[in-house]
Amino acid sequence: MMKQVKIRKSDFHPVLKVFVYLVAIVFTVLTLYPLLWLVISSLKTNTEFQLNLLGLPQNPTLSNYPTAWRLAQFDTLFLNSLFFTTASTLLVIALSLMAGFAFAKLRSKATPFLHGSFIMGILLTLQSIMVPLFLMSVATGLYDTRLGVLIPYVGMGLPIGVYLCTEFIKSIPDSVVESARIDGASYFRIFASIVAPMATPVAVTLAILNVSGVWNEFMLINILVSRDALRTLPVGIHKFSGALASDHGRQFAALTIGLVPMVVFYLFFRKQLTKGVSAGAIKG
Amino acid sequence: MKRVIHWWTEERRAYLLLALPAVAVYWAVMAFPTVFSFILSLTNYNGGPVFNNPNIQFVGFTHYLRMFRDQYFWISLKNNTLIILISVFGQIPLGFLFAYVIHRKLVKFTGFFQTIIYLPCVISTIIVGRLWRSFFSPYGPFTEFMQKFQPGWENELFFDPKLAIVPVLFVILWMYTGTYMIIFLANLQKIDPALIEAARIDGATEWQVLTRIMLPSLSGVIVTASILAISGSLKSFDLLFAMTAGNPARRTSVLALYMYDTAFKHSPKYPLANAISVFMVMLSLLLIVLVKLTEAKFGGRE
Repeated sequence: MMKQVKIRKSDFHPVLKVFVYLVAIVFTVLTLYPLLWLVISSLKTNTEFQLNLLGLPQNPTLSNYPTAWRLAQFDTLFLNSLFFTTASTLLVIALSLMAGFAFAKLRSKATPFLHGSFIMGILLTLQSIMVPLFLMSVATGLYDTRLGVLIPYVGMGLPIGVYLCTEFIKSIPDSVVESARIDGASYFRIFASIVAPMATPVAVTLAILNVSGVWNEFMLINILVSRDALRTLPVGIHKFSGALASDHGRQFAALTIGLVPMVVFYLFFRKQLTKGVSAGAIKG
Repeated sequence: MKRVIHWWTEERRAYLLLALPAVAVYWAVMAFPTVFSFILSLTNYNGGPVFNNPNIQFVGFTHYLRMFRDQYFWISLKNNTLIILISVFGQIPLGFLFAYVIHRKLVKFTGFFQTIIYLPCVISTIIVGRLWRSFFSPYGPFTEFMQKFQPGWENELFFDPKLAIVPVLFVILWMYTGTYMIIFLANLQKIDPALIEAARIDGATEWQVLTRIMLPSLSGVIVTASILAISGSLKSFDLLFAMTAGNPARRTSVLALYMYDTAFKHSPKYPLANAISVFMVMLSLLLIVLVKLTEAKFGGRE
């Protein structure tokens, strides 16, 4: 780690220090308190919630959880979220690495144009393609199918994926590819056994970015799917809490269930996630 | 024949096969729909088959004019402007403050604060929206707190057309400050510590280190962050969808929500919806160009 310069006490005004602590503590409270309130409220029955909005439950009960799980069909929601997240992430990584290798190491006059089109895509927003995607999925019969959601998810992950992979593979010395060529390896062989394994760090970054993006994605799947059987967590939770707006205990239980996977994922992959975010932010 | 063999080298074949899958998927679901969206916004399409439909005619910029005459367009634009302002002048300075304080270890428990401040960004926006909706609702903690200070206080936050956007702005500030903190932190770590050490040995104060070394070397990042903030603010949809759904009386609508309502609620008005999305893309590009011009004028350096 880098060595930090010690700050002389006289340098940093105590008032400023108090102010900084204050802001940081306010943010901490604003994050932890609502989450705490959510979990506590999910342990109350509706009757108790109405009498006791903020306090700890007198008779904590877990009974809201099984009911919420069943009513919101969390089995289906989890399986669908897992499917879309895993499938789209694997495909985004594979396609981005392949294209990145082609753009970075193979000579072609098409590269500036094709690579450039992906860079433009980083700036594109979902809104600009939402209605056309909906109409296209209806016209092609992909509406309300898994494939009809998966393909756009992969497409949306590609711009940043191709950008990061191309940059990374460019940093691999040309001599690595050239010497393998002299030894008679085909380009596919070079890609599969040399470049792809070397690109593991960028694949991890990409995986983390894509997992957190797709797991939480709401708008697109909300438009492209109407069947209950294809709903993911955000859609299911939204529908559930809309339908049972006054059933507080169960609603809060459902929100808590939805909250847990991402928070656990974050606590485990905090370093990689923040690294991915700052790498992905080199937009514009 | 010789020429063909020369053209069809192994390298070209490999290039084609490796690049094609990504290009095909990306062009099908991103590039083509973008162009398609613009074309659609100039037509009178209103349902039925989109392709090979003889009834579809070009009507010019009619839908754009209709959009500019719609009061909900202006309400949405105003709310988007507020969100951009809170992002650029709220999230970015706060994010920088946290990044700076954490990087220079001016507070204790830096790891803890960093984890907590970024936490909201990883939670599904739908859950965040639902949670804060309950938090600010008449049965939520916010009402209880207010009534402690002001007995008899009535919570009309989500019914008052003027106030309803305030909780949303607050949540947006709370939610995304962490992203900018992470971005600034990553770039602060790139500054050579020896440079700062040398400055300190030469007697520079903390303030001078901040204004003479750190801010100048971050000017490029600040520009990037502003661009992210602007395009991110124009995209905001999920949070509002879950928190207010644009209500009361569509007073908390934003452009994305306005477009969604136009396209998918009541009778679908696809061309108008596409006119809105084309406007959003143009506005986003315009603002990004403005940010870049400002950068050029004030001589920002990477």
